[in-house]
Amino acid sequence: MFKNYLKIAWRNLLRNKSFSVLNIVGLSIGLTVTALIIMWINFDVGIDQFHDKKDRIYEVYNQYPVDGEIWTWNSTPKIMAPTIKKDYPEVESVSRFNYDDTFLFSVEDKRMKSTGTIVDPDFLNIFSFPLVEGSIASALEGVNSIVITETFAKKLFGDKAAMGKIVKVDNADIFKVTGILKDLPNNTGFNFEFLMPWAYAHQRGWNNQHWGNNSIATYVLLKEGTDYTAFSKKIKNLRERYDKDAPETVTYLYPWSRYWLYSEFENGEEVGGRIILIRMFGIIAAIILLLACINFMNLSTARSEKRAKEVGIRKVVGARKGALIAQFLGESILISFIAAALALVLLLLVLPYFGELVQRPLSLDMTNTPFWITGVIVVLFTGVLAGSYPALYLSGFKPSAVLKGTFKKINSPITPRKVLVVLQFSVAIILITASIIVTQQLQKVQDRQSGYSKNNLIYSMVEGDVGKNYTLIKNELLASGVVESITKTSSPITEGWSNSWGYEWKGKDVDDKTTIQRFNADDAIAKTTGMEIIAGRDFDLGKYPTDSTAAIINESAAKLMNFEEPIGQVVRDNGVDWRIVGVVKDFILDSPFQKIDPMVIAGAKFAHNVIHIKFKKKAATSESLAQTEAVFRKYNPEYPFNYEFVDQKYAKKFNSEKRTAQLINLFTLLTIFISCLGLFGLASYMAESRIKEIGIRKVLGASVRSIATLLSKDFLKLVLIAIVLAVPVSWYFMSKWLEDFAYRITISWWTFALAGIAALAIALLTVSYQAIKAAIVNPVKSLRTE
Amino acid sequence: MLLQLNNIFKWVNSGGQRIFLLKDINLEVEEGEFISVMGPSGSGKSTLLNVIGMLDNFDEGEYNFLHESVHTLKEKHRANLYKEYIGFVFQSYHLLDDLTVKENLEMPLLYKKFKGSERKAMVADMLDRFNIVGKKDLFPAQLSGGQQQLVGVARALIANPKLILADEPTGNLNSQQSEEIMGLFRKLNEEDGVTIIQVTHSEQNAAYGSRVINLLDGRQV
Repeated sequence: MFKNYLKIAWRNLLRNKSFSVLNIVGLSIGLTVTALIIMWINFDVGIDQFHDKKDRIYEVYNQYPVDGEIWTWNSTPKIMAPTIKKDYPEVESVSRFNYDDTFLFSVEDKRMKSTGTIVDPDFLNIFSFPLVEGSIASALEGVNSIVITETFAKKLFGDKAAMGKIVKVDNADIFKVTGILKDLPNNTGFNFEFLMPWAYAHQRGWNNQHWGNNSIATYVLLKEGTDYTAFSKKIKNLRERYDKDAPETVTYLYPWSRYWLYSEFENGEEVGGRIILIRMFGIIAAIILLLACINFMNLSTARSEKRAKEVGIRKVVGARKGALIAQFLGESILISFIAAALALVLLLLVLPYFGELVQRPLSLDMTNTPFWITGVIVVLFTGVLAGSYPALYLSGFKPSAVLKGTFKKINSPITPRKVLVVLQFSVAIILITASIIVTQQLQKVQDRQSGYSKNNLIYSMVEGDVGKNYTLIKNELLASGVVESITKTSSPITEGWSNSWGYEWKGKDVDDKTTIQRFNADDAIAKTTGMEIIAGRDFDLGKYPTDSTAAIINESAAKLMNFEEPIGQVVRDNGVDWRIVGVVKDFILDSPFQKIDPMVIAGAKFAHNVIHIKFKKKAATSESLAQTEAVFRKYNPEYPFNYEFVDQKYAKKFNSEKRTAQLINLFTLLTIFISCLGLFGLASYMAESRIKEIGIRKVLGASVRSIATLLSKDFLKLVLIAIVLAVPVSWYFMSKWLEDFAYRITISWWTFALAGIAALAIALLTVSYQAIKAAIVNPVKSLRTE
Repeated sequence: MLLQLNNIFKWVNSGGQRIFLLKDINLEVEEGEFISVMGPSGSGKSTLLNVIGMLDNFDEGEYNFLHESVHTLKEKHRANLYKEYIGFVFQSYHLLDDLTVKENLEMPLLYKKFKGSERKAMVADMLDRFNIVGKKDLFPAQLSGGQQQLVGVARALIANPKLILADEPTGNLNSQQSEEIMGLFRKLNEEDGVTIIQVTHSEQNAAYGSRVINLLDGRQV
């Protein structure tokens, strides 16, 4: 029986090549997209889920009400971890985590920079990062112990054993390798090449004990059997006892295993995070697969006249409805398995690109049983989904009706097939508008004036002897002829590292807790970065030595502080009175998608970490770089010269949105393609089934054009309905999406008009080929078939 | 008695009017009979055949088949009944184009759950009996009309039905092919005792049968 089904299914496939190709191509695209998304979801869901104790690990978060809203953030004071450990017996261990630290490492004459972090010894006990050599209990004991990954060990020591060896850090401190970490797996959010003990941070004076200094992460491992809810209540008011400045800050333990997918907070509540994007694309994948299934349904039922006879015969010789349903389902499952084979090839081809697009190291492991099981389940599901409606529809034919040759479909005004076409095109139109709007938004933000000049501007971190020799470096660079201007700042001009609502100025409302960006620069900041001064002047230490306590504010700050004459006013921060000497036009420090915060650029008095250098336009960039490097080498010989181009850094701010746009564009194209496949197939069957009508019309004098129009009209009507349905839906969702951006486009009517026209044009192109083909057939031929 | 129709009515409602397809049909068929149903186009011949073959319902009356009252049976039982006892032969043969001769013959057996070896034997027997062994791997389109109908009859017979219903079995055949098929029917009827009811337009074909039922506008005349 099964063999018989298979045989007939196979012959059917071969006999109706165009039908098979349309279905298989459509389904294989749907399956490929589904597989990609499932792999992506699977990867993200698995991130940091391999830690043995993950259900007992918590990260310390803070919550604080600002303007009636609860802010949630995860950086903590350095004193937090020891305090928690001391005060709460439920806590098994704690570890501080100093985010990313970059140091210079030297082994003999080999030098390289690497990024790792400083943690408490218990870090290795809390998280499951196994050591290849060394012991978890003692690896991070002492001050000058370092644990490095296998890869980093290889980089430093080559093929020689690294354990127990000496490595010099920042050209000053001698460390002994006390442990070799197995390289971190792909599926972790951590990214470090080495771990150093907190005692080292203490030694370097990085361990200030202020409760107001929230700058590191704190991880807590609770003892087994601890009741989380009860413990949360206990720890909630921890700061009341210690933090004099902000005792009302709530200490909140966030279940760490949720951080990757869910750690986005609004008003103190989890509101999603990465899961939102994943969910969205999951839905899109499901929809694309559904659209491919709809093609199958449509084409199968459209061909029903051809198969009606078979159904009749089989019933007459004794087939029950169930047997026929099984047969048709078998066919659709066969088709979906063939499509799956094709999808597998496609998957292998596109996986690397997709991985790059979603920034995940996705790979296909053919020996992975769950992959195959999931695959078979998805394929079976697809086959059943695609085949169920046609199977029910086809198996319902009455033999007495279909075998007498009187069987003709009646074209009722609403058939499921039309509904399905409308659905397909609605989705396509929604995605087209989404594509247009996302692209427009991106374009608008990319076109936004950054407020400074990014060209010929680089920055380099202050490291090694650069700080000490800065004046020498500066003078030599300015004398070299390639450098226009140079300034030292607190952070790169593309990143805001610090902010505060604690600024004071004359006339400030006591309840005003507006966040002000904190930035520092020593000299010639406007000249170097090309900011536009709208009042007062730039920093000029040479001319005005008092500029070390001067400040330049931006326009928004001037508006906020509401001075009649800002120049000469005083702003107080960190116990220093800064005198305003200039006002600059707002410029983009952080996200170009958001509004620009008020900002105070304070003068040379405070520490600076970054050097910005503006090259002269005339010199070639490579030449300027070479000369600059030579100067840095001269005064900081132990360190390689590292720099970033500001324009490249700035461009990176768009990466995430660019990827979203690329993904949406990709899915839009696929959806349009699949919808067109279906429409093409439907149009061809429609033309075939109306061949007699076309013949009669032509004999009676209809022109080719009038017939082609007649045939196309029906489909275009469906697309019009789809436009009407799709517009409100896409308007709703895209408005929601845009709400996330303070700087955004307004959705205009022509977006929808454009999407609608595009959909109509695509549909028309698809259908008209078939329509014209049918219309030019010689009527003598078509009428003879009756 | 093989089957009995009592006061069978069948109608459709069209534009508020009831149009009768069959009107008060009474018919008794004994086993071993060879009956021809005749009448002009639209007189209800095929409808009657479909009702007898249980492919179509009727609206009023009683139908007994081998002492089962068909009108009270559920769809499933009715299907089982015709599956077991009735074979159909059609004017346009209705072979499955995608299957070979052999596979076409095998198909009814698949639905009757015969084992593979049994099926093989029965198909071989039929091919042999109808002298089409050489054609077993050909597709219907490769056969002449007469040969296709031969396969059609063979398929109807393969599961040993008691009754063959033939709807203008020679309608698409030339006279020589027609004679062959009719001769075959006669032989089946006389030698194997198969009951046959055929719809035909041709007096000549009707002459092969033992009894003629004439229909006009759904009535027996």
